[in-house]
Amino acid sequence: MAHIGFKSIIVTAALAGCMAAGAIRAAQEDVKVNHTSLKSGDMAPDFTLLDNHWKQIHLSDYRGKKNVVLAFYVLAFTEG
Amino acid sequence: MAKLEETDSVVFGISIDSPAANNAFAEKIGVKFPLLSDMNRKVLKEYGILKMYNVQKEEYDWAQRTTFVVDKKGIIQSVEEEASAINPNNAVAVCTKLPKK
Repeated sequence: MAHIGFKSIIVTAALAGCMAAGAIRAAQEDVKVNHTSLKSGDMAPDFTLLDNHWKQIHLSDYRGKKNVVLAFYVLAFTEG
Repeated sequence: MAKLEETDSVVFGISIDSPAANNAFAEKIGVKFPLLSDMNRKVLKEYGILKMYNVQKEEYDWAQRTTFVVDKKGIIQSVEEEASAINPNNAVAVCTKLPKK
């Protein structure tokens, strides 16, 4: 179990790293930054989006069931 | 990820990429959690994190890297932007503190 957990963390870190590389490259040409007006304590706006298997995901489906981590990334395949 | 599952949490990656692109990306980097497509930028606008990028003198609006932790009541518990949103440990730490039930 511990081993599996560790591998998963590595994968997560790898994803974060990939996303980071893309962000750093993109950030070099930033012209404008929008800071979110949402803050801790606000309701998260609901959404319905397609996942990578074309399945609809509704944020509201997780209400009362799971905490949700929303990790917005710039673009896929931008790790260089 | 296993750490997050222990805290009764799920993770979604979100970008403007198509489901097909996201699926190829997911397979390439080996992520198990869903990658969601905000192709019309509706969610990015609602969350206020559309950012202008200048590429070869043309402007494009894509997501700013941001991580939100939403609890079971639908309430935002943490917002991390840019550099601090890269490290997943912060989100894990927030989820760990949230009540299990």
